[in-house]
Amino acid sequence: MVDAQRLDDWFLSEVMPLEPALMRFLRRNWRNTSEIADLRQELYMKLYDAGRAGLPTQTRAFVFRAARNLLINRALREQVVSIELVADLEALDVADASAGPERQTAARQELRRLQVGLDRLPPRCREVVVLRRIEGLSQREVAGRLGVGEDTVEKQMVYGMRALIDFMLGGSGKIRRGPAARPAKAGEL
Amino acid sequence: MSDHAAIEEHAVLWRARQEEPGWSADDQAALEAWLEESTAHRVAWLRVEYGWRKVGRLASLRSPNAPAAEPQRRPPARLWRPAALAASLAAAVGLGSLALTGGFLHKAYVTEVGGHATVPLADGTKIELNTDTKVRADLEKTQRTVWLDRGEAYFEVAHDASRPFVVYAGERKVTVLGTKFSVRRDHNRVIVAVADGRVRVEEVKQKKPPTVVTRGDTVIAEPAATLVTPKSIERVESELAWRRGLLEFDKATLGDATEEVNRYNRKKLVVEDPQAAAIRITGSFEAENIDAFARLLRQAFGLNVQEDGDEIRISS
Repeated sequence: MVDAQRLDDWFLSEVMPLEPALMRFLRRNWRNTSEIADLRQELYMKLYDAGRAGLPTQTRAFVFRAARNLLINRALREQVVSIELVADLEALDVADASAGPERQTAARQELRRLQVGLDRLPPRCREVVVLRRIEGLSQREVAGRLGVGEDTVEKQMVYGMRALIDFMLGGSGKIRRGPAARPAKAGEL
Repeated sequence: MSDHAAIEEHAVLWRARQEEPGWSADDQAALEAWLEESTAHRVAWLRVEYGWRKVGRLASLRSPNAPAAEPQRRPPARLWRPAALAASLAAAVGLGSLALTGGFLHKAYVTEVGGHATVPLADGTKIELNTDTKVRADLEKTQRTVWLDRGEAYFEVAHDASRPFVVYAGERKVTVLGTKFSVRRDHNRVIVAVADGRVRVEEVKQKKPPTVVTRGDTVIAEPAATLVTPKSIERVESELAWRRGLLEFDKATLGDATEEVNRYNRKKLVVEDPQAAAIRITGSFEAENIDAFARLLRQAFGLNVQEDGDEIRISS
């Protein structure tokens, strides 16, 4: 058994940096874009549970192998085996051999991405996120400054955080509002 | 299946509350209990933690010497404003995919085979050029006009009721009543796919009544006929997959698919016999990776693939 702290550290420092590449892989190989976030979540659960028994030495290869198996199992279950899966199995060996370049993404580039991510938020939401995260105001102070209720600030903050996190991890930054919302039909084109 | 969104929202809410000054030991214990409940909670939390730390790290980098210290005053469409035009163009030219050719009257934007570029216009409109495409734009006080000289382009038109937005593609004229659509020109045929809003398609000489099409529709206009195919919005989006560098096929014949792939590549696929050309394929492919596409045909269908200079010959 791997102890909980080490497991979390492994997940944060080894698995999470792979998310942009992983999402590209999933998007390329799974046609139904509305299911991709679910696939990611399912994969993360499998990885975390597998990690309990022992951490892999080659996390990248481990993650992509698990992703591929998940897709194949899903495809078989849904009987939609498409030929692009075949294609990527070959590409995968190459991806494994090379260490992920996305880890070295320049801070400048990320900073620029953060700016774009902020710009994409609805104005009020952006204001809340900037005041709280960048200027360090509390929820109550933000509510006072903007003349709105704390509930509103919290709601805006949650939406803004989700969108920004998704965007920083290579997603579209478009989040379905509300947990009960139907899967977004028009995702990122 | 999709309760992951609810879990994610929950995790974010915990994270937001944790930053509040009033966060107590009891709150922390409640959070830990929630995390213990399931791996789903745990991994959602870790993902939020990772992403939010990243935002925080960057935010702290950003604030001391940020060029614009107060982003909240910045309008959201900043990136597409004219000031950004020169910079984005320069960046695009650097990638070798877009060339700005000066004309006397209109600005022209060109991409080469395999190219892909996004052009922001001064009015806030965004035009995304696909492979081997040329457009010219002219923004006047009373009208905004774009000519699609060749290729394919996707438009996100900034709303301005006082200045109609018109796209000329050969003999067809597309007047924008809504916002997002693509226009593709293949010789005499013009294809308009509408992702959002409404557009009106008519002949330049206006012999026949115009056709108004809405979200999810595709118009195929040829000299003798105009055909509207109401498709699902998913289909339109699939046709716009080139914007992500992908081509998507849904039971397309290999003949049609190779023609499509060839649009993006200097090297060309040649299907040599009708049996092979009739094979149906489904899937998404990287538009510019013609070698992978050919390899796939060999693996998945057992076709013969032979490279011959700038051609890849395919036969059954």
